[in-house]
Amino acid sequence: MVDHMRRCLELAAEALALKEVPVGCVFTVNGQIIAESKNSVNATHNPTRHAEINCIDQILEYCRLNNIDYKLYFKNVIVYVTVEPCIMCAAALNNLNIREVVYGCPNDRFGGNTVLDVSNFYEQNYILNGNLLADEAMMLLKEFYKGINPNAPESKVKKDKKV
Amino acid sequence: MEPPVKRNRIDDSINSITIKNQTGIDNLIDSIINSKNQPQIILGDEYYQTLPLIKVFIGHVKQPKDISKLFEILNDKLPLKHLLHLKRVRKKDILLSPVSFLNSDTQESIQEYIERNIPEIKDCFEYFREATVPLTPPLTRKQYMENLRHWSLNFHPNHYIETIMSDQPFKQSEARNHRIYMALTFEIVKWYFNIKSYEDILQSDFSAAVVVDPTINSVVTLAVDNRHEHPLQHPAMLAIDNVAKTQEGGVWKIDIDDTLKEDLKEKFKIQYGTRSGTAESPYLCTGYYVYLLREPCIMCSMGLVHARAKKIFFSLDTPLGGLKSKTKLQCIESLNHRFEVFTGFL
Repeated sequence: MVDHMRRCLELAAEALALKEVPVGCVFTVNGQIIAESKNSVNATHNPTRHAEINCIDQILEYCRLNNIDYKLYFKNVIVYVTVEPCIMCAAALNNLNIREVVYGCPNDRFGGNTVLDVSNFYEQNYILNGNLLADEAMMLLKEFYKGINPNAPESKVKKDKKV
Repeated sequence: MEPPVKRNRIDDSINSITIKNQTGIDNLIDSIINSKNQPQIILGDEYYQTLPLIKVFIGHVKQPKDISKLFEILNDKLPLKHLLHLKRVRKKDILLSPVSFLNSDTQESIQEYIERNIPEIKDCFEYFREATVPLTPPLTRKQYMENLRHWSLNFHPNHYIETIMSDQPFKQSEARNHRIYMALTFEIVKWYFNIKSYEDILQSDFSAAVVVDPTINSVVTLAVDNRHEHPLQHPAMLAIDNVAKTQEGGVWKIDIDDTLKEDLKEKFKIQYGTRSGTAESPYLCTGYYVYLLREPCIMCSMGLVHARAKKIFFSLDTPLGGLKSKTKLQCIESLNHRFEVFTGFL
């Protein structure tokens, strides 16, 4: 478990180096990593390209190429991610019937459990566990928010600085 | 001469629903464009609910000349604190305190309380009674009017809220644009999924998205449901990615058919284009309006928050919807971006 989260932290650090919000994620089946990615919102100009969404895309492509029913495949997936999935990602992971999510630090801004408990809206839910290497994950976020988001418009940048 | 036939709205009667369901898709699209009804905003429940009530003690004053003195003494000794939306005095009645203010263990009456704590006014009242009054301030004129029978209230109408909640929140020309762009979503679904009637729409779960830059009244992008191929490719998610493509980004290689785009342009007299690449190049979906045939799911609703869309419009509710049916993401105060949501096209 800890090894998977360490890999997520490496991915998050890579994201930070690219001036992305530092979040890293791996999807595993039977303890093996089957997809890994990091946040790529600024690179793609698409605010939904979170690490989890990128991993889901990779697995869907893998299933498509290998004629695997993704619905069955996702049922065995355990997700490791450095920051609690946001409301959007939590809903996506619920839709796909993921088995379990393990996160690093909570997400006070958008968390799919902390800000709005998305599990209330679905009949089946994944198991959610948090606070694995939380300090490391949080350090990376703090590092990012010390700097500036290169894609945000001017006025917003100034506001962020004050906070 | 025959009396004019009044066309009912969909929810008016069972009969009109049956008729509506059999409506051909083209007639439905026409009626969306030509309807005189304007889209209606979806605000937080607090704007629609009847106000919660609270029990209070009222003292009936013997001498009207005592009222101003009582008013001052009571504001000092028994301030209303969280109930400042309630007027202190109505005719010869004075609001004293919430019933819950008295210690229920000692079973002290309001009369005993006053005799013990504010003896200087104990002889001013003819009698005491309990009344029920609103616990929270009215947010709308409707809530204000509904609650006046309980007690006199302080109310400062929010003019923006009153307008946006009215039957005519938009200028006529704006409202027509909203209806045309919504009609596009139906036309797209009709083209892709062989939809022939309103019934077909209701029996399916297909949806489509139209993103508009209202500052230049231009369609930025279109998207159609691809959920059956790819579980993330809901119209809103595709639309957000398509907008990214107009900003030198984007990930998914999927787009609306070019023939359809041309057909739509001709039939609905719309134009395509963005301000991307100009000095006013938008950031993500900032300032954009997003039209969806169906209420977006929770994933898409949050995607639209991340994308910073300005207004969202949809026609049909969905069971797992994130803007009306399951939750109202637009009402979560802690999110860093909020948009307005409208429905009511059918």
